[in-house]
Amino acid sequence: MGFAFPLLSDADAAVIRRYDLLHRGAGPKNVDIARPAEFYVDASGTVQWANLTENIAVRARPEQALHAIDAAKGGRRD
Amino acid sequence: MDLANGGGKIGVNRKWNWPLWVGFVVAVGGLFSYQFFIQFPSTRDFPWATLLLFGIGATLLLVGLFRAFGRPQLYRGKVFGSIFLAISVLLFAFFSYVTFYVLRQVPLSAQAPRVGEKGPEFALPDQNGKSIALADLLSPNGAVLIFYRGYW
Repeated sequence: MGFAFPLLSDADAAVIRRYDLLHRGAGPKNVDIARPAEFYVDASGTVQWANLTENIAVRARPEQALHAIDAAKGGRRD
Repeated sequence: MDLANGGGKIGVNRKWNWPLWVGFVVAVGGLFSYQFFIQFPSTRDFPWATLLLFGIGATLLLVGLFRAFGRPQLYRGKVFGSIFLAISVLLFAFFSYVTFYVLRQVPLSAQAPRVGEKGPEFALPDQNGKSIALADLLSPNGAVLIFYRGYW
């Protein structure tokens, strides 16, 4: 499909559980799925930005992620 | 035609009370409008456009009902206008319940990684079946992790 990023599959929600992002019964046929969430993890593996929405219809906008990355890098763009 | 003395002919001679019909259509349209407005962040994050449609619909319905009850010799709609208003109020209540309550029933996620903590390590298959670990994604600029519900 030409994605410029990896699209990872967490079919049994193991990583979703590890990140404590499980939304029980929220999927089709009441399966457990992820709540929407976005993180920026820097090169050292440290979380620099976490966005946990209060409304499942409201997700982070691309500008928010870009802003968070810029802020974490001290305004550098590289 | 002397409407004031219409007597038994009242039902035939009364005017079409258009604000009731238009208001009802706008209110019903307001409910379905969110299917469209939810596509755009500015009308989704707070549903002002949908609420505006409900407001316009309610205003027209009230204008129509004032006419129907205030000047029943002139305007139709006491009964069906009341039914329209009741249905519109129910639709609005349903919309508010979903938007301001159901969509906000998200888990607490108290143990989710916070700023300053290490992102928990993982390895998951990508779209080509190749296993990708968090460490593979971090160099050189870090990574944005998006937990997507998949069927929204």
